[in-house]
Amino acid sequence: MSVSTPDLVPPRVAAGFAAGVVLLAVAPWALDLSPYSHNLVTLAFLLISGAVAWNWMGGFLGQISFGHAALFGLGGFVSARLLLSGPVPAPLAWLVGGLVAGVFSLGAHPALRLRGPYFSIATIGLGEAVRLIFTYWEDFTGGASGLSLPIDPDMKHQLYWWGLGLAAIVVAVSWLMRHSTFGLQLLAIKADVDAAGDVGVSATFYQDLVFVLSGAVVGVSGGLYASYFSFIEPNDMFGFDRSIAFVLMTVIGGVGTILGPVLGAIVFVLLRQYLLASYPDLYLGLYGALLILIILFEPLGMAGLLRRLGHLLRRRRVPAAAAGGTP
Amino acid sequence: MERFIDLSLSAIMLAGLYATMAYGLGLIYGVLRVVNLAHGGVIMAGAYLGWVLFERWGIDPYLALPLVIVASFLLGIVMYRLLVRHLPRGPAGGPASLLLLFGTWLVLRNVSYLLFTGNDQAIRTSYSTASVPFLGTFVSVNRLGVLAVAVVLPILLQLLLKKTYTGRAIRAVAQNADSCTLVGVDVERIYALTFGLGTALAGVAGLLSATIFSFNPGFGSGELLKSFVVVVLGGLGSILGVGLAAFILAVVEVFAILVLPSYLTSAVGFVMLVFVLVLRPGGLFGQRVLG
Amino acid sequence: MRSRSTVPSSRPALLSTLLLALVAAVPRAAGAAAPTKVSIGATLPLTGAEARIGGFFKEGYDLAFEEVNKKGGLTVGGKKLPVTLSILDDTSTQATAVSLADRLVNSDRVDFLLGTYASHLVEAQSTIGEQNRIPYVNGGGGATKIYRRGFKYLFGTIAPVELLGTTLMSWIDVQQKAGKLPKPAKIALLWENTAHGKDFRKGVSDFVAKSGGAYQISVDESFPLDGKDFSALLGKVKAAGVDLFLADAHLPDYITMHRQYVAAGLCHKVVSYGARGSEKGAIDALGQENVNYIVSGVWWSAELGKKPGLAKAFVELFGARYGGRKPEWFQALAYESARALFTAIEQAGTLDREAVRAKLAALKIPSLLPGGTLEYPAAMGQQAQNPFVLQQNLPDRTSPIIYPPDSATGTGVAVNPRCPK
Repeated sequence: MSVSTPDLVPPRVAAGFAAGVVLLAVAPWALDLSPYSHNLVTLAFLLISGAVAWNWMGGFLGQISFGHAALFGLGGFVSARLLLSGPVPAPLAWLVGGLVAGVFSLGAHPALRLRGPYFSIATIGLGEAVRLIFTYWEDFTGGASGLSLPIDPDMKHQLYWWGLGLAAIVVAVSWLMRHSTFGLQLLAIKADVDAAGDVGVSATFYQDLVFVLSGAVVGVSGGLYASYFSFIEPNDMFGFDRSIAFVLMTVIGGVGTILGPVLGAIVFVLLRQYLLASYPDLYLGLYGALLILIILFEPLGMAGLLRRLGHLLRRRRVPAAAAGGTP
Repeated sequence: MERFIDLSLSAIMLAGLYATMAYGLGLIYGVLRVVNLAHGGVIMAGAYLGWVLFERWGIDPYLALPLVIVASFLLGIVMYRLLVRHLPRGPAGGPASLLLLFGTWLVLRNVSYLLFTGNDQAIRTSYSTASVPFLGTFVSVNRLGVLAVAVVLPILLQLLLKKTYTGRAIRAVAQNADSCTLVGVDVERIYALTFGLGTALAGVAGLLSATIFSFNPGFGSGELLKSFVVVVLGGLGSILGVGLAAFILAVVEVFAILVLPSYLTSAVGFVMLVFVLVLRPGGLFGQRVLG
Repeated sequence: MRSRSTVPSSRPALLSTLLLALVAAVPRAAGAAAPTKVSIGATLPLTGAEARIGGFFKEGYDLAFEEVNKKGGLTVGGKKLPVTLSILDDTSTQATAVSLADRLVNSDRVDFLLGTYASHLVEAQSTIGEQNRIPYVNGGGGATKIYRRGFKYLFGTIAPVELLGTTLMSWIDVQQKAGKLPKPAKIALLWENTAHGKDFRKGVSDFVAKSGGAYQISVDESFPLDGKDFSALLGKVKAAGVDLFLADAHLPDYITMHRQYVAAGLCHKVVSYGARGSEKGAIDALGQENVNYIVSGVWWSAELGKKPGLAKAFVELFGARYGGRKPEWFQALAYESARALFTAIEQAGTLDREAVRAKLAALKIPSLLPGGTLEYPAAMGQQAQNPFVLQQNLPDRTSPIIYPPDSATGTGVAVNPRCPK
């Protein structure tokens, strides 16, 4: 436990990250993106944020949640309700949605005692209970017929940068989590909760913290999603399929890695747009097959594959010098 | 009074169905410590197999039981040999096994979608809507059949586990796989057999469900969720606990209609699931399995 | 922690470039030259929960397009232009329905949109038409809520589901006034918890509220889509001792619920499952003897083709194209939606979206739908208000229209003869 938080983010990483964000921020003008591509990338940002946040729970803590749709839906409906209630600035509504989802995830605190499959099963149960209750709760969610927001093409256009901002923050937080004492503590909890407790890591506190953060981000992305689609409906927002989507994106991209969920979300959006239009009959099975292959052969998913590829290339280029990399 | 009899009978019939659905999940967990997320997919496959046998060859679903048992047993063996065998054992394998079997479920769904399209199907036998009068109300003949299977299955299973060499080996492996290896039990074979047995039970559940409900390739997710509730209530891995828990869940869900809107009665089960997991992780009557 | 921080700095930048490269690869259509064809886009649920019906809608659309192209296409500004239809599969999910409509409009550059099936998909997808100012004509979203948003580019060929409840109650009312049903009559109202079910419930309960005590709703319960065990719910219906059993369910729930209904020994003077009842699939799964006398209300029925007129022509056309099969309301509404759009385009004489929108808003054409005329009244949010037709399954395996009288091809039996006295 001798490693402490690095005082400075390595300049190379920071520069690369900033370059990436700026590149994406100016892309709509630079590339003259068609409205369709523009919207597609917006959607990718929203999914990236959700997947990365899910990964804090599923990857960093090792608590696989099959119930994140509950938080996503809650964020979406709270934001939508606020936006419908009067002249509330949209970003405030999203933030409140995220906060409510974050607080709500604290309600799952008792479930954090559970590890492994027990936790997963509990989240499935919670997710389904929440879906049924919110579908029934007419006054809040509009019941099965959902809520419609006023159409606002400008807002939808701007969502690109809001989504990019959220995704950038979330990825940066992911990086900081991984490269700090906090990240080490999470790793310790993931490896063995009891042992982590023995060496003075407050497992309960950290788990709660991560759960709240994860819930809040997923809630905010739910709020953005509501603004993006202008129509949300509880069976879709709270649905089991949506919970599963978080799992699929992250695991296919690389669970527990920083860039994995990002890759996974991009692949998810692209597969849905391109594959679905041409081979609609095969997409479910394809996800399933990908999942099986990844679990059996490359548990770190696409990020793991990239890492292997990177090692392979570097070994070729610099035969021996690579061994003592900088910390 | 008549209302009470009515509800009680509904609860008993429903309990039979829930128990049948959950035995397989419980058995696999009890021995391999693997949560079979493909359970719903096997239930769906069992339903389609029963439907094909009935539509194509006119085989009555209850007579098709042995065929479905053998076929889904083999499916289970294949799934074990190809996939589950390669998973790491112990707590680290938990998430991996969930995801692997979930992927298997998606593939099963897709395969049946390609084979049978997404249309809703149903099995209609001469007794599908028949009922017999009982205590002033009516009881569905088919549901009685399901109940009978639900009662006979665990008895057969217990006989198998207690009286046969393989059965005793399965129980021994469930208690301590390492020492079994030491005394020369082929643990891999036992795991494969158990997984096959568990999926065979899921196949039976699918076949029986197909005689009651209409189904399509997405069928099985509701059944999987109910099975979870039952297995968790009963303590993951206790066959008799499963039977009792199925009864409790059915009673609670059915009688909830007296105080709750019908739409919310199925939420009751999920809320119970969460509470039991948190408060009594060993199930209402099972052993402790946490940590 | 050594190896972990050796992330190559270029990776995030690389990733962003990759993301952009992939989406930038979406072809951008060239600017509009003089039109050489009319291109219309639609998504349909060809897989997923609504796949069966999505297929029916496709048949209706295909038939309409083939018919027009057989005649050389649409006459736009004095020139005949062929019409093309691009259909994408929205897999019955909202997000996909929206994204693919976006793609049709902004990437494939279609001129107009036809709608998908099922209310929740239409409600989500129609936002794309409104945002991009493209006329969107649908025959698959019946919930009134969709048309209360004040959308200008959205047109519904499908009458509100509420009207189904109202029509059903109107027929029951005629029977009650004729002394065939008790007064007050007790109703069990069971509805699936979807936009469809909620509208049905509203139609029935509004009628009951206005009836001045002639009816009384004794059971008013919703159930989840794809519900499984209805025995407790049916027990409640039984305990309430009602006269009329009015449910609204989609096909799988209708089959599952009605099996349990029959097995529980239930029987009511009037039994209805809303729009379900006369489907062949249901009769196969339930048995003719168990579906007899069930009353169903639909937007259109092939029975309408028994009298001369547009409906008859459509039934014949459909039969010739699809091997003698009889169309159901799905194909008819899809066909009629496409036809309405075609007519508006020809009336406008241009592919200009504003002009076509205006023509759609003012449209009033003879129609194969009950009532005989199709229009999209602005007061109803541009949702057609054609009446429903009620059908009843009879033991001779027919399902004649029993109401309204001007469409009727048979007479209804009010008190279910199956029930023991």
